[in-house]
Amino acid sequence: MRTPVLQRMRHLLVLALLLVAAGCQGSFPADTQGTLDRATGGELRVGIAENPPWTQVAPDGTVSGTEVELLEGYATTIDAEIRWVPAGENTLAAQMRNGELDLVIGGLASDVPWTSQIALTRPYTTAEGPDGAPVDLVMGVRPGENALLVDLERYLAEQGGEL
Amino acid sequence: MNAQDEGSAEDTGTGHDAFGEEQREALRHAIRLEWFTLAWMSGTVVLVALVAGQSQAMQAAWAEDMLSLLPPIAFLVATRRIRRKPDRLHPYGHHRSIGVAHLVAATALLAMGGYLAYDSVVTLVSVERPPIGLTVLFGQGLWAGWLMVAVMVVTSTGPVGLGLKKLALAEQLHDKVLYADADMNKADWTTAVATITGVLGVGLGLWWADAVAALLVSVSILRDGVKNLRSSIGGLTDAEARTYDDSAPHPLIHEVEDAAAQETWVAEASARVRDQGHVFHAEVFVVPRPGAEPSAVQLAALRDRLHALDWKMHDVVVAPVPELPHRQTFRSTLRT
Repeated sequence: MRTPVLQRMRHLLVLALLLVAAGCQGSFPADTQGTLDRATGGELRVGIAENPPWTQVAPDGTVSGTEVELLEGYATTIDAEIRWVPAGENTLAAQMRNGELDLVIGGLASDVPWTSQIALTRPYTTAEGPDGAPVDLVMGVRPGENALLVDLERYLAEQGGEL
Repeated sequence: MNAQDEGSAEDTGTGHDAFGEEQREALRHAIRLEWFTLAWMSGTVVLVALVAGQSQAMQAAWAEDMLSLLPPIAFLVATRRIRRKPDRLHPYGHHRSIGVAHLVAATALLAMGGYLAYDSVVTLVSVERPPIGLTVLFGQGLWAGWLMVAVMVVTSTGPVGLGLKKLALAEQLHDKVLYADADMNKADWTTAVATITGVLGVGLGLWWADAVAALLVSVSILRDGVKNLRSSIGGLTDAEARTYDDSAPHPLIHEVEDAAAQETWVAEASARVRDQGHVFHAEVFVVPRPGAEPSAVQLAALRDRLHALDWKMHDVVVAPVPELPHRQTFRSTLRT
C-alpha cells in the first residue's frame, strides 16, 4: 500500500484529536481576533446603514429602529457600550474588511453581496421585501469572529422565540 | 454466415466473452459496488448541501462530491459498451470504452485536486476567515461546526470500504477505471478528514486551519490524478501494456514471447502488446528455425496456445517473418 499517504492521514487524525482536546478549554468556537472578549465589558463597534423601519439615523446622529433595539438588548447581555458608526452599506463593508467594525446592521437581506467582507448571521426574522416577496433578515458580523457570531445568533434566536 | 465469419466471432468476441466465470463474478460485484457508490455519493451530496451554509470548506466538499460521481458513471457506461460484439465498423471491438472511462475518471480526479488546491490557496492568500455560526436543531442551539463534523464522519465511512474493495477487484479484472475510482474514494475520505480537522481548527480560532488541511490533501489527490491521466493516455495511445496500477510493464508480454519461443519450429519471437481495456491485443512476430516451413495449421495452433495463456490474451495475431522487424517490435522494457 502507499504508506506515505496513509501516514499523512494518520497525522491529520492525530492533529484533529489534539484540536478537539485543546477545544475543551476556553470558549468554543473561538474568535480569530478575540472580538467578543474585547467587547465584553467594553465597546462594541456597530456600523449602521439607514433602512427604515429596521434602522434610522437622525440628523443629530441618534439611531433608532427595531434592529437598533435588538442590538442594544444584546449589548446589555455582554455588558458592552455600543459605538454607532453610520454610513452606507458600501462604506461599512470596506470598514468591516479593515477590521474597524465588529457588527453591521441595516435591514440586511440574507442574499446581500458582501459575504466576502461580512459574515452573516442566520436569518433572525422574515419580512416582506419591496416586491412583496418574503426576505430573510440577517445582521453582519466580522468574519472569523465565530464566538461573537454564535453568541449574537443565540441571542437573536432567543428573542425570536426559536430557542 | 460462412465458416470464416464464425471463426472470427469466436476469436475476438466481446470483452465480456473473454471473461472466465471468476472474472464475470468479479465484474458483477464491481457493478453492484459502483451502483452503491452512486447512491452513497448522491446521499452525501444532498446531506452536505443541507449543512454547508456559508462555509467555503463545505461548499468545496460539495463540489468534490459532485465530481466523484463521474468515475462510477463512466465505469457503468463502459461496462455496458464492452458487451457489444466487434463488427465491420468496430473491427477491434469496443474494449477501448474502458480506456475512455479511465480518462474521464482520471480527469475528474485531477479536477478535484486542482479545485481543492486553488480554493485553499485563494483562501490563504486573501485571508478569508471562515464564518461558522449557530444552527438550531430540534429547538436546541448548536455550533454548526459540530453538525459539519458529524456529517463528514458519517459520509466518509462509505468511501473507505468501497475504495478498498474496488482496489482488490481492479487487480482481478485488470480494470483501470476501478483503480482510478478507488483513488477517487481515497480522495473523498481524505478530504472529509481534512474538512473535519479544518472545521475544528476554525472552532479554535485558527482561520487558516481549513485551507491548510485541504491543501495538504490536495497534493496527494493531484498526484493520483496525474498518475491516472498518464496511465490512461498511455493506454489510449497504444503504449506498452502495463499492470492495472501502472507500476510496471505487464508480465504477460514476457510470458507470450517465452511461450511462442518454446514452439519447436520457432527460433525467435517478439510481441507488441497493447492494452485495450481489460483485454490485450497482441501481435506476435515469430521467426521460424532455418528449414522449418510452418503450415497454416501450425500457426493457428500457436495462436490458440497463446490465446489460452490468460483470459486477458483476447485478440492474438501470429505473424511469421524471416527476421524480426525492428521498426515494428521491440524487446519489452521488462527484458532490458
